[in-house]
Amino acid sequence: MHLKVNGDVHDVDAPDHWTLLEVLRYRLGLTGSKQGCDKGDCGACTVLVDGEPMISCLILAREAEGREIVTIEGLWPLHLARGGEGPDPVQDAFDRYGALQCGFCQSGMILSARALLDRTPSPTDEEIARALSGNLCRCTGYTQILQAVQSIVARARGVEPPRRSWEAANVGRQAGER
Amino acid sequence: MLRLPRFELRQPTSLGEAVTLLREEGAGAMVMAGGTDLLPNMKHELFTPRVVVSLGRVPELRGITRDPDGTLVVGAMARIAEIASSESVRKQAPALAQAAGLVAGPQLRRAGTIGGNVLLDTRCQYYNQSYFWRSALGFCLKKDGVVCHVVAGGSRCVAAASADCAPALMTLGAVLEIVGANGHRTVAIDEFWLGDGIVNRRLAVGEILVAIRIPPTPPGHRGAYGKLRERGSIDFPLLGVACRLDVGDGDRVEHGDLVLTALAARPKRIPQAASRLVSTRLGTEEFRAAIDELGALAHRQCHTLANVPGDQEWRREMIPVYVRRTLQAAAAGNGPVHHV
Amino acid sequence: MASRDIHGIDAPWGAFRHVGRDLRKVDGLAKATGAAMYTDDIALPGMLHAKTLRSPHAHARIRSIDAADALRLAGVHAVITGEHLPVTYGILPWTQDETALAVGKVRFVGEPVAAVAAVDEDAANAALKLIRVEYEPLHAYLDPFESLARHDPPIHEGRKDGNVSKHVHLAFGDVDAALAEADVVIEDDYVFHGTTHAAIEPHCAVGHYGADGVLTVWSSTQITHYVHRALARVLDVPAHRIRVIQPCLGGAFGGKSDPFSLEFVVAKLAMTTGRPVKMLYTREEVFYTHRGRHPMHMRYRTGATREGRLVGVDATIVIDGGAYSSYGLVTTYYAGQLLTGPYAFATYRFDSTRAFTNKPPCGPKRGHGSVQPRFAFEVQLDELASTLEIDPIEIRRRNLLGEHTTTVNGQRITSNGFARCLDVVEHASNWKTRHGQLPFGRGMGVAGSMYISGTNYPIYPNPMPQAAVQLKIDRSGLVTVFTGANDIGQGSNSIAQYLVAEELGLALDQVRVVSADTDLCPVDLGAYSSRETFMVGNALIDACRKVRPLVVRAVADHWQVDPSRVRFVDGVVVELDDPPLQPAGVAVGGEARPGASPPDAAAGRRWMTAAEAFQLAEARFDTLGATGAYNTPTLGGDYRGGTIGAAPAYSFTAHVVEVSVDVETGRITCEKVWIAHDCGRALNPMLVAGQMEGSAYMGVAEALMEAHGVNRFGLHAGPSLLDYRIPTTVDTPELAALIVESLDPEGPYGAKEAGEGPLHPAIPAISNAVFDAVGIRLKHLPFTPGKVLAALRARKDAAAGTPAPALAGGAR
Repeated sequence: MHLKVNGDVHDVDAPDHWTLLEVLRYRLGLTGSKQGCDKGDCGACTVLVDGEPMISCLILAREAEGREIVTIEGLWPLHLARGGEGPDPVQDAFDRYGALQCGFCQSGMILSARALLDRTPSPTDEEIARALSGNLCRCTGYTQILQAVQSIVARARGVEPPRRSWEAANVGRQAGER
Repeated sequence: MLRLPRFELRQPTSLGEAVTLLREEGAGAMVMAGGTDLLPNMKHELFTPRVVVSLGRVPELRGITRDPDGTLVVGAMARIAEIASSESVRKQAPALAQAAGLVAGPQLRRAGTIGGNVLLDTRCQYYNQSYFWRSALGFCLKKDGVVCHVVAGGSRCVAAASADCAPALMTLGAVLEIVGANGHRTVAIDEFWLGDGIVNRRLAVGEILVAIRIPPTPPGHRGAYGKLRERGSIDFPLLGVACRLDVGDGDRVEHGDLVLTALAARPKRIPQAASRLVSTRLGTEEFRAAIDELGALAHRQCHTLANVPGDQEWRREMIPVYVRRTLQAAAAGNGPVHHV
Repeated sequence: MASRDIHGIDAPWGAFRHVGRDLRKVDGLAKATGAAMYTDDIALPGMLHAKTLRSPHAHARIRSIDAADALRLAGVHAVITGEHLPVTYGILPWTQDETALAVGKVRFVGEPVAAVAAVDEDAANAALKLIRVEYEPLHAYLDPFESLARHDPPIHEGRKDGNVSKHVHLAFGDVDAALAEADVVIEDDYVFHGTTHAAIEPHCAVGHYGADGVLTVWSSTQITHYVHRALARVLDVPAHRIRVIQPCLGGAFGGKSDPFSLEFVVAKLAMTTGRPVKMLYTREEVFYTHRGRHPMHMRYRTGATREGRLVGVDATIVIDGGAYSSYGLVTTYYAGQLLTGPYAFATYRFDSTRAFTNKPPCGPKRGHGSVQPRFAFEVQLDELASTLEIDPIEIRRRNLLGEHTTTVNGQRITSNGFARCLDVVEHASNWKTRHGQLPFGRGMGVAGSMYISGTNYPIYPNPMPQAAVQLKIDRSGLVTVFTGANDIGQGSNSIAQYLVAEELGLALDQVRVVSADTDLCPVDLGAYSSRETFMVGNALIDACRKVRPLVVRAVADHWQVDPSRVRFVDGVVVELDDPPLQPAGVAVGGEARPGASPPDAAAGRRWMTAAEAFQLAEARFDTLGATGAYNTPTLGGDYRGGTIGAAPAYSFTAHVVEVSVDVETGRITCEKVWIAHDCGRALNPMLVAGQMEGSAYMGVAEALMEAHGVNRFGLHAGPSLLDYRIPTTVDTPELAALIVESLDPEGPYGAKEAGEGPLHPAIPAISNAVFDAVGIRLKHLPFTPGKVLAALRARKDAAAGTPAPALAGGAR
């Protein structure tokens, strides 16, 4: 079969019962898409199919033929190819906001966020939360993830991102301690 | 990784080709729409078809169109996310749009189809498990076994109809268009169900659901869907309530309907809904009394079972609450009723 | 320098350059771009795939296993059973009661019985179905009270005490007398259900056996060192011929801190077949592997004076351990030992018993052993407050333990920011104007807690360092840190980078970290009991302070100045004015890099790059490097078990939560959690906040949503991420991380733990907030809507049948 992944067409040989996730990970070596639950419950395997976040462990690889697949590995090169600098702004924001603890769910999370921002450049906080509600994260409590996405939205709107709770608070430190 | 069993994938590119394929393959073939229900079930070895026929490349099944008489024709392969955001569905069939918007999580709504949702396999905590788990249990009535673990001594499978869209479609009087080797037929969605959890729908081997026809609704049509579930996303319903209120002059109800799901093998209509609601006026004490009474009626008529995981007594208690809230939401032109 | 040195809390070069800032993580962009390699991302040439056959019985004797048909299947390379790996192991040296594959009997549904290595997963799965196992089912114990009451047949043969896994009884002072004299005694039962970790990465291991006799195992473990030891024991391979590597890890929370069946199995299969072997657990298998939070049945009696001063606490706890010991011995102690702060009480007694049952084994989950008692006790404290009509925050203030003191059970307390934690959550939540004053259905609750920052006792007693690191100083200006620490997402590798850059005055990108590889890194005990930042941090400072004087000396001699006039700032060495600048004056632009033009601070002064300085030092002193180590001081009470729960420092937390209760559906919505946590010093506040938020989220989930258990057939009730429901974005409350810094005298620059403590108060604070909202006391977890409705009905019935209670609670 021919799969178009991150702009390249790959000639892949895999049995009919292989999922897109299995082909990406174990045939193409694109291991950034993760397997967390086996069957569509966690969102860690989310990839973009024709620009939309989809669960790659519930898509047969052959069903993805003829469609544009973007995995987490594709975002940075794509951003560079479009004349951007550094990693994709979503990837960068996730790093700057501490959203990457174990990182295992974050390739799916980042792709869900990327697709949201492509579709809706200035989503509300509620729209962000809903768009990411199919991606489970066990480390962060989601706060820093949502803040990372909100920071991009703030930049797009030309306003300062809201202060993060620990910056705003720092109430616990006694004066002159540092 | 939990693997799919081996099968041969066929990807017909026309409806005719799909029908022919299914006729040739017979009972060894299964139809796949979005795959979001079929593939997890296959990973659990609930189905091990020799051939999977994907409808993903059949163009006739896509899209949402409107007939000249105002009937909304929703292709069976229309994505659930498409239904949820479609302006015409929101306007003509708000309960359906709301139900679609609450199916699973965002990614699965993009992959899942309306046809697949209507044909969703019934669910049970003793059934939707891996082969190993079910073998450790000794299997069950619905698959590979002879005993029901929900109802002791039960001889009829009580796996629960769990499609959010189905009860909404029932309140809308939807008609299913089905194509098979013997040609084309239509069936009112009310007539489509069987009370058997093993297979709860009247769809013959080789038949394909091609479209869902939603008759025009009057200008005063209102509808809502209420979904009880633990989380605000991803989960199947613990209870689903769809209702319809067609409101005429002076806010008077001219037609009403109430259908519940996630209880037994098929969605359950509350037959007194129409008579109890018709001619009441929204916002009056009379209307409030009617919906209270319908809540109590639904509570009496509907029983919860341990088919769906969780606290079944609480689920039963939620029946009147969700009936009332969903009817109130419809009356106010709001909805869905959902905890987040 | 020595491993027990205290390094102080001050910045090494006058002012902190990296510490205290919201810095990126060393591996953040690798994770964000999909480049980070996790265990299942490893593919070796010729690699086989292994699968496990599991027991369908909760308790059964194995009569026979026949794998002949499986072995004949095309693509199958080996089948192993318990007879191939009969040596027992267990995380604790005193309770080695597990085998990699069942030997003789099985003790829970899902226990590994046999394993197959085949050319691919499909062939391995097909082979599993051809293995015939004959079982003789035995009575299955699903309830801990039953398994304590009878033990015929026993779950583990040959034990003196039947199905008792561990029993601990400790008393401090005369509790009975104290409670008899107390003005008020609150007595009640509390139930903590089981929960599990549900890290998103399933367990995975890859084994490789070289012709040279070296065995390499890559594993998703948080305890590389203990896996190393266990592999040597079970496989009978000398430890020096085994290498264990932890690749990037996709979450753990305590769920990857035992040696597990798959690690031994891939090693054995690799040795048997001469091929690399991978095993990746399905999500269902992860649930059988479990080691999650123990269910506990707790009875507490707490006595106080009329003024709300605690006089005595008496606890009886029955713990449901599941089928194996795991960390259970420690859990049984922790259930009592970790309650003795942040409040002082003069007398204390606890009696805890861990029972074996035929269920997946329990173990350590974030806040090991102490989350359950903390729930019970903090709810009791709230009841005490309402009974005595004292504000719940005030009653906590009246019982503060204080700093630099000793607990009733003999634990040394050093820094203690709990009083400030209370102040902070009270202020941030507007407690004074809102608690007790919100409309019916909305309420606020408070709770506090204390947790260990590392434990003073290594899992196997030995006098060697608990943490050790090694530094390699390169001519290029790069310092490589080698640490056995397990970065499980908490950021221990990043902390290592920040600390070394701080100590050596380097830019962050001049420090790279190699971790958790037993061939390359000195031993560290692993990521458990919140020890990495504290212990490895101290070891890093120790190592830096051995090598730094050599570099400074080389530069000083080169410039012919006194070493005190040499200062490293962000990778640039400058000569200070005479007299030296005040620390604040040293700050330079953050972008100074070796090879760049001189930084502002160097203007008019002599300067060189760190690389040049390293070269001078290498020329002078030969190859540069250093080791560093840390060991805790001698700690703990002078009685049997007195060292369990002893930590070199303790963290403190207070939460206020706000809930709303839908009285028609019974559903509790946690609206917001204000989390104040004393982490000593926040080395990176952003990472500390991430730990606080993640902890609180997990606690809220345990209170309201998650439940891990078996059904009446002994089968896991729902081994999937669909049925074991962890919150999504839309289910998670607003979380406010309020950092409190107490600057611990022994922590690295004053730092303490942040990863586990902030979970504890969430659960009791929700119960207490529900009381404020609707006047019911929830004492049995999880707080499901059905329980809420039942309690509301009971309250209504009581109000209808009897006069309203005199005390607060039914007031609104």
